[in-house]
Amino acid sequence: MPALDYPPPIQRLIAQLRSLPGLGPRSAERLALWLMQVGPLRVDPLARSLGLLHDTVRACDECGFFIEKDADCLLCTNERRNARLICVVEQAADVLRLERSGAFQGMYHVLGGKLSPLDNVTPEDLRIDSLMQRVQSLQAEEVILAVGSDVEGEATASYIADGLSGLGVSVTRLAQGMPAGGALDHVDELTLFQALHGRRKIG
Amino acid sequence: MLEKLTLRDFRCFDSVQVDVHPETTVFTGKNGQGKTSLIEAACVLLRLQSPRTSSRDEWVRFGAQAAVVEGKWNGSVLRCAQSAKARRLAVDGGVCTRSADYLSASGVVVWMDHADMNMLRAGAEHRRRYLDFTGSQLYPGYLTALRAYERALRGRNYALKKDAVIAWRQADAFARVMSEHARVLREHRAALIDLLRPFVTEHHAALSGVGESASVSYACGQSGDDLFEELISRRGDEERTRSTACGVHRDDILLTLNERDAGSFASEGQQRTLALAMKLAQAKVLHQVRGQAPLLLVDDVFGELDRHRRRALMAGMPQGTQKMITTTHLDWLEEGSLSGQVYEVDAGKVRGGA
Ligand SMILES: [Zn+2]
Repeated sequence: MPALDYPPPIQRLIAQLRSLPGLGPRSAERLALWLMQVGPLRVDPLARSLGLLHDTVRACDECGFFIEKDADCLLCTNERRNARLICVVEQAADVLRLERSGAFQGMYHVLGGKLSPLDNVTPEDLRIDSLMQRVQSLQAEEVILAVGSDVEGEATASYIADGLSGLGVSVTRLAQGMPAGGALDHVDELTLFQALHGRRKIG
Repeated sequence: MLEKLTLRDFRCFDSVQVDVHPETTVFTGKNGQGKTSLIEAACVLLRLQSPRTSSRDEWVRFGAQAAVVEGKWNGSVLRCAQSAKARRLAVDGGVCTRSADYLSASGVVVWMDHADMNMLRAGAEHRRRYLDFTGSQLYPGYLTALRAYERALRGRNYALKKDAVIAWRQADAFARVMSEHARVLREHRAALIDLLRPFVTEHHAALSGVGESASVSYACGQSGDDLFEELISRRGDEERTRSTACGVHRDDILLTLNERDAGSFASEGQQRTLALAMKLAQAKVLHQVRGQAPLLLVDDVFGELDRHRRRALMAGMPQGTQKMITTTHLDWLEEGSLSGQVYEVDAGKVRGGA
């Protein structure tokens, strides 16, 4: 007789959940059992949200931040923002963090990650080519590299700065005072504000 | 000075507390009973690293959630808790989020064991480990630069191997990151070896006593200060070998005896003397720069030194050096040169007053 296990639909759900970032096999199992117990009233809205996600939301082709389908990007179409200034970040969440700091009035560019050969993340996996095109089409004067200060963040900044050299654009990095090795999500808004104001030229 | 040492779920120890003697604490017992883990815990408490392993989850006793080491150092209660994923540090009950804050309240350590002879007999990584163990206790940015350099190196080497045609722009991006950290490490290592040299020569002369002259010098794995430029010029080599051609990961210390390479030309006795002189020099430099005597942790080798070298070790340590020693036999105790406390260690239990 085969060893007893959960019925296949639950097994499949657990397999799906444990493939999500930050969820190990134990927490995936716990979550699946919880969903089983709470019943459809609680599960259906969740399933609907998941199902609608890619039908209703997409990433802006320009900046990479999220917008509802058929809507204009509030960041890219706002005429009061300075289109000559582009701030490059790793993740969409960094855009919100910088917006809340109130220190930045230019355009954003979300890379979608950072260079990491060990994790098989190459320049082709990031929105680097589209950044190069955007710098030229917007005739940008400055590109601020607000990526993390860990090894991969620094390598990403270095890679982009190298690619931008010769385009006549000034390239800057957030000021010291950012925690060494840290990403933006560990930084409070005041520190971000100061880091943006004290940025230094690297290319 | 370390006063009390408490281990919970650390390696084979369920829970144990030891009163550490102001001068010498000796742990005796058969092999495999946990003696070494006791002095390893003292090293972890002060330095947050172990000379025995680089994977911290090994500290956690099998089946337990987290290993805890606690101790009183110069009046402050230090506490280090390590689980498989996370580490919690506290000084006098106040949580330290940055290890630098914790380490500024703790002390310096010299560790001696059988592997010390590898500095003379084996590869450069053993000499780099000696440098790194010392450097990380002297220079606040050392360990951060080392970890970042090694990570960037791993990333770069992977990028060099991965594709049929090397993605040079990617490799270069990581080379620039390596170059920055290499500059820091090279500067620190050069300064450190300059500090060590007179002490190595002095202690070796005192130990050997027969007109032998020992010296150490820095053999850096890159020729200049600019690793990035140097790597650009080594493209051809890297195309062939598919790995990073130069850098501080190839650093070495040249050990010489009467100006000849000590690894190849020295006798076993001469090598032992030189290894001991290097440990004494390490203690002296830590004392000189940090202004406090180190905690000396000796695993198993004390009883195996001859009487002459044992005396030299005791006499050569900076004044006020507190010692914790593990040993399988106590024959040497009768020499009477030691004031302290002996504990017996048996199957994860510690008994005092032998
Ligand atoms: Zn947009």
